[in-house]
Amino acid sequence: MTHAERPVLAALALGLAALCPAVATQAAPIDYDTRRAADLRRCDEQLHHGRVDAANACYQPLLRATSPLTRAEAAFALGDLRSANDLFRDAVAADDRAPLPRVRWGRMFLAAGQYGDAVKLFQEALERDKNDTGARLAMARVAVERFDGDIQEELDQLLKDDANLIETHIIASRLAIERGRYGDAVSEAQRAQQLAVQQKQPPLEAIALLATVEVMRERDPAAFIKEALDYNPRYGDMFVQLGYFNVIRRLYREADAWFQRGAEVEPESATTRREYGLNLMRLGRVQEARPHLVFAFNNGPKNVATENTLNLIDSLDKFDTIKVADPAMNLFLRKDELPTLGPYVETLMRRALPEFARRYGYTPSGPVTIEIYPDHDDFAVRTAGLPGIGLLGVTFGNLVIMDSPSGRKRGEFHWGSVLWHEMAHVFTLGVTQNRVPRWFSEGLSVYEEWVHGPTPGVNMTPDILEAYAKDLFLPVAALDEGFLRPRYENQVQVSYQQAGLICYFAAQRWGFPRLASMLRSFDGKVTTADAIRKVFEVSPEEFDKQFNAFMRERYSAYIADPKRWPDLMERAHRMLTAKNWKEARDAAQAAVTLFPDFTSSGSAYEVLADAEVGAGNAAGAIAALQSWRKAGGWDPTVLRELAALLLEAKKDAEAAEVLAAVNYGDPLVTEGHDQLGRLLLAQNKGADALREYQVLLKLQPADTAMANFGLARSYRMTGDAQQARRHLLDSLETAPNYRPAQHLLLEMTGEKAQ
Amino acid sequence: MRSCFIALLALAAALPAAAASQVLVVAGRGGEAQVEQRFTTWTQQVAKASVTVTGDALLARGLAGEKDADREKILAALRTAAQNARAGDRFVLVLLGHGSFDGTDYRFNNWGDDLTGTELRGLLDRFPEGVAQLVVAGTSASGSLADSLASPRRVVIVATKSGERNAARFGGFWAEALGSSDADKDKDGDVTAQEAYEYANRKVTETFKTDAAIATEHARLVGADPGRFVVARLGAAALFASDAQLGAMRTQQEGIAQRIDQLRAQKAQLPEDDYYNRLEQVVLEMARLGQRIDARLVQLGVPAGGSNDTR
Repeated sequence: MTHAERPVLAALALGLAALCPAVATQAAPIDYDTRRAADLRRCDEQLHHGRVDAANACYQPLLRATSPLTRAEAAFALGDLRSANDLFRDAVAADDRAPLPRVRWGRMFLAAGQYGDAVKLFQEALERDKNDTGARLAMARVAVERFDGDIQEELDQLLKDDANLIETHIIASRLAIERGRYGDAVSEAQRAQQLAVQQKQPPLEAIALLATVEVMRERDPAAFIKEALDYNPRYGDMFVQLGYFNVIRRLYREADAWFQRGAEVEPESATTRREYGLNLMRLGRVQEARPHLVFAFNNGPKNVATENTLNLIDSLDKFDTIKVADPAMNLFLRKDELPTLGPYVETLMRRALPEFARRYGYTPSGPVTIEIYPDHDDFAVRTAGLPGIGLLGVTFGNLVIMDSPSGRKRGEFHWGSVLWHEMAHVFTLGVTQNRVPRWFSEGLSVYEEWVHGPTPGVNMTPDILEAYAKDLFLPVAALDEGFLRPRYENQVQVSYQQAGLICYFAAQRWGFPRLASMLRSFDGKVTTADAIRKVFEVSPEEFDKQFNAFMRERYSAYIADPKRWPDLMERAHRMLTAKNWKEARDAAQAAVTLFPDFTSSGSAYEVLADAEVGAGNAAGAIAALQSWRKAGGWDPTVLRELAALLLEAKKDAEAAEVLAAVNYGDPLVTEGHDQLGRLLLAQNKGADALREYQVLLKLQPADTAMANFGLARSYRMTGDAQQARRHLLDSLETAPNYRPAQHLLLEMTGEKAQ
Repeated sequence: MRSCFIALLALAAALPAAAASQVLVVAGRGGEAQVEQRFTTWTQQVAKASVTVTGDALLARGLAGEKDADREKILAALRTAAQNARAGDRFVLVLLGHGSFDGTDYRFNNWGDDLTGTELRGLLDRFPEGVAQLVVAGTSASGSLADSLASPRRVVIVATKSGERNAARFGGFWAEALGSSDADKDKDGDVTAQEAYEYANRKVTETFKTDAAIATEHARLVGADPGRFVVARLGAAALFASDAQLGAMRTQQEGIAQRIDQLRAQKAQLPEDDYYNRLEQVVLEMARLGQRIDARLVQLGVPAGGSNDTR
């Protein structure tokens, strides 16, 4: 994934839809709480063994039970969430001081994915009894499902308070699986299973976790699956879990098989059908996904991801596809952006695909599909089912989904780099059949941006160096945790950069071929520590030591006095505002020397260039901006300034190269295409000029005469006399007095301008 | 203190029987020094460009401030323009600055009491019959003027819809259009009110898109045939008004341009090849005429490259 900011998913906050009072469908998760009423337990017994009709017949009379909580639980178990909501409210009102009604009400919201409402109720329960284990376990469950920080400490405390709580062991096992600690996961799951048997509770979740570990270990979980299905032949949740853990490991094809099986075992489960449909979306099988999502929408509690995704599917007729045979790729863009952004995407992909194939020794099976969404919320829904995520691009195997530059503030992100980053994922995931650890896939993607992408240069910001100085970088063997369960606010961003720096360091130290070799070593069983030992022949600890030495050397000047750089930057900007060119120049130059990797907006390079311009030293300004570019700077406005300076200095070829680079940051404005087109024509690059003018015309410029004239010249240069004439006449049709077009017409008709 | 600015009346020159153009550009009160400077700069740009149309530098200097752009000075300038105008003339009024709407009437923010839309209408109605008027209100809250100034002899361009009160960007892009060959869509060297309006409107839309911001202004144009108002002449085009030979060739150009328009009107009915063959013949005629025009310009000391080749 490419990250613009913290990846916070939007909170769900919708009301519950009414359902036909119906069939208990395992919508209610297993309640291990020993306070659960015996009447309910009898019915639960039927449900947990898959005897749905019997369970229904058992729950129905409980809708008239004397206990309000029992009535609420019965409605919940029957899937009538609207009635259950009202009944839980009554139960809470009947005994305001008791935590349990609130905990169970919250569990209902949790099952419906409404975390905000759930957490509020759990917190109210804890206000009434801060030690209530039901509430504490429920909060832990929320934290696990939302990847919300580190809950190990709370789990340890829960175990200490009562080691016989089944759910504590289940949550602990699940966390251990996420962290790759499969031995611990098995221990916890086995303990949960033992306790379940002792307490006469269903062992289903525990068995599902054991099956999950087998899958994580690339072993056959058939025995555990049989054990679970023997207990409950309709236990679809197990397959949802197996699918889920494959999804978080980016094994979407493998996840598809599990979701499909879940849908076969429990076809009426809205949850299973929803997850199946959402995963089909990740595989690009949009039309197959639709019926499952429609079923989930019609038969489950209101789910934002389902609804958003269905709305998105219905809007996809505004998009179209360019199919290219060689290299094999599909470009899926909105129809109005296909002719304007499409050519640049195709050009970059034509470079990327063979280059990556050569570097990584791998060719994707089947075409690579790029989907580009102008509306960021559409992109977010396409990838996560929810609007508001802070990502720019996501890769699912051979499918890359990303934002269009038109959906963001101009110059906010470099779509070419984002695409390059995601293409790296296509290859690193493909080479390892999605077994590459998260940190390494992200690290190689960042490395690729820095070294081979359209804006090469190691981009660094002070907050990353601050994190390093505070010792917040993780050991390489544990770096995945920085992505999966961040413990401080910008840890994910820090982890991205650290991962990129590690790859950069390793490539420098041992050469890229060894880095690629390390990639190929990941087969699902090999850990990061194993791979480092095998490929680099050092221990992970020694690797970390050498990496630290690299960091200290590269950023020695900054680390020696972290306050100096911001002071220099402040002074440089202040002197620039005061038009004190010499002082501004000196401060900016010192800042560049201290921290050359900083190229973000307002960088010292830009101040230096402005100071040089102020002092009348155009050559100095050009040198400053060229250094900025080499260090990774890509802001389109600044690039245009550099191009203008180069043109004034009569360095047309360099100016053309810079203007071409602008297209990877800012291609969808009319400005610049004609200028670049003319420069390319002057260099006899007819085909490139043709692309610029074709794009320009599709952008519907005010000056169509100029655009058509450019097309005429380009077609003439590429030998297409017919198209040249047509566009020349179109130009003169709009602007009959357009001199340059008139001259060309006279020339083409043999009359020649005098 | 900066002196105040009113761009004066420019009298048409040169060819007898040519309709005179008068242009009045007013910079309003900015509130802050930086903003006032901006309005001043725009006003100077518009005034300078307007001289290429009027052919006469009877334009006031581009200054802004309390002394010369208060209410009384504006009223006096409008009265004088009305007195000096004759049927067949053109009058252009450009307001650049802040505007407001009090629920009933538009108010142009100047020094002294604000000039209202009602007052503007009264003054503009005083111009003799047969004087074609163009009013460009490049201010915030100017939307109501589109209705209050509407008249068969008037084209009104406003920077905003009714109710849009944020500082308007339109005025700056209008000024830019008057000096930009990008605004001259048909490349005849003349920037018309239609062309300038389209250019400024497009630029405003682009800047909001660039900022990924919701647009807070939407310009409007009301009135017939805005293309009849030439608001700037680019490059050597200004010479056409003062040289008889060029003037005659300009008339021929206009004749050929009319034939192109007539042919364009038939485009949908004609087979494609036929259309383009006919078009080629007519534009070739125009191209040969262009060569003769260029030759005349060389005689007049204009460098080779063409009268409207501003690249």
